[in-house]
Amino acid sequence: MIGKNDIDLYKQFVKTIFKMRYKGSLLGFFWVLLKPFFMFIILFVVFSSVSGQVGNLTSRQYAVYLLSGLVIFTFFNEGITWGMGSIMERADLILKINFKRDIVVISALTMALINFGINLLIIAVIGIVLNIHFSLLSALYILLIGLVMFLGMYGISFFTSIWMVYIRDLAHITELAMQLMFYASAVFFPIELIPERFRFIVQYNPIAIYIQSVREALTYQNIVNFKFVIGSLIASILLILIGNIYFKHSVKRVAENF
Amino acid sequence: MNDNITIQVKNVSKKFKIPVKGHKNTLQERFLNPFQKTEYREFNALKNLSFEVKKGEFFSVIGPNGSGKSTLLKIVSGIYVADEGDVKVNGSLVPFLELGVGFNPDLSARENVYLNGTILGLTKKELDKYIDEIFDFAELRDFADMNIKNFSSGMAVRLAFSIAIRVKSDILVLDEVLAVGDADFQKKCYAYFDRIKGKKSILYVSHALDSVEKYSDRVLWLREDRSYEIGGAEKIVNGYKNAN
Repeated sequence: MIGKNDIDLYKQFVKTIFKMRYKGSLLGFFWVLLKPFFMFIILFVVFSSVSGQVGNLTSRQYAVYLLSGLVIFTFFNEGITWGMGSIMERADLILKINFKRDIVVISALTMALINFGINLLIIAVIGIVLNIHFSLLSALYILLIGLVMFLGMYGISFFTSIWMVYIRDLAHITELAMQLMFYASAVFFPIELIPERFRFIVQYNPIAIYIQSVREALTYQNIVNFKFVIGSLIASILLILIGNIYFKHSVKRVAENF
Repeated sequence: MNDNITIQVKNVSKKFKIPVKGHKNTLQERFLNPFQKTEYREFNALKNLSFEVKKGEFFSVIGPNGSGKSTLLKIVSGIYVADEGDVKVNGSLVPFLELGVGFNPDLSARENVYLNGTILGLTKKELDKYIDEIFDFAELRDFADMNIKNFSSGMAVRLAFSIAIRVKSDILVLDEVLAVGDADFQKKCYAYFDRIKGKKSILYVSHALDSVEKYSDRVLWLREDRSYEIGGAEKIVNGYKNAN
């Protein structure tokens, strides 16, 4: 029951968010490229110039290591944050018009997906500059991980976008949790640097597992954690199905609680 | 539901809980006052209301502020849900609780036509077809690429109105649309009413009693004590006037 207008509305929302995010700034769209690139440069310079080596990685390996961590983590951060805020952010529309509410949620996640796609392109460019060989299989595996994350975050957003209306603190809580996750996912340092007794944090953290899988795929063309990724795919689809029911049921009451 | 009926409201009640004290929308409030019970004042916006709007009927709702008119429109439009009772809508419905919904001041007029038009249920294809007429009708052809934030409020309303009249729906829900414009704008609105009267079903809320009496087939009068009366336009409007 997706009408022609629903698809057009989805495109309009994505277009508008995209335009608004960079409108009025001098560099406009280039901020999309510059922000992750700067983050990369800073961390890279700080960590690799100290010794020329990070853990047992050469600086070229570390560049790939860091990039894959940053790109996956940024996708996770933006998808969760934007998905959660999506209903709240369009309160003005929801109070006036009876359009399909889930379009707002999928639009926010699409925005995160677009940024993720752009960041992957940056990786590809840097990879070519650093003369890293990609295999088709590893590229496909990275895309599959992206898809699984997208679906999972979409499912989660069905819940969090509603909860956000009732508990405004979720925005702050998530911000803190994201800072914690940034360290707990070993985004910018080798896992070996974590003391043995804390290493379980990384081993059981899905984001760290995704990051590690992307790293292996990029550096050694290895497909690791395949079972976990497929398991997550199934879990994500289930989450979307259940989330959709919850969302359809709860979103009706949202307008009077803004 | 009878095919001849487009909106059916049956025994609808709606209560709002208004927090008087200790509303806990943030955790701070919950932490600081863990044992304080939130006190609510219950407000009955609608109570046991029933009516039907027939196909092609111009049905108006009048009543003093706080009598539940806007709540009623929001329930019929599917924005709020009724606590009790049943609302059935037969056909496509577009609510106009405000003109220019979703207008973004930082986008150009043209971009806003696409944005607002799509929100109101038009497809991109239809808007491609109408866009010139929309700007002509609004007399804003030369301003199509200007940002809306540089528009006067009159210009913005004119643009919003020319998009609104393109909307293809069987049922229109209109809340105080006349309140925003000048005399010229109101004339355009009335001309539009003349054009669609009898063709679309209309649920109309207004304090402009003259227009209510002129256009309505039937009128619903909501009173502050939650009682109501339905009848012919002249009779109800006169009754309302005399009561005040």
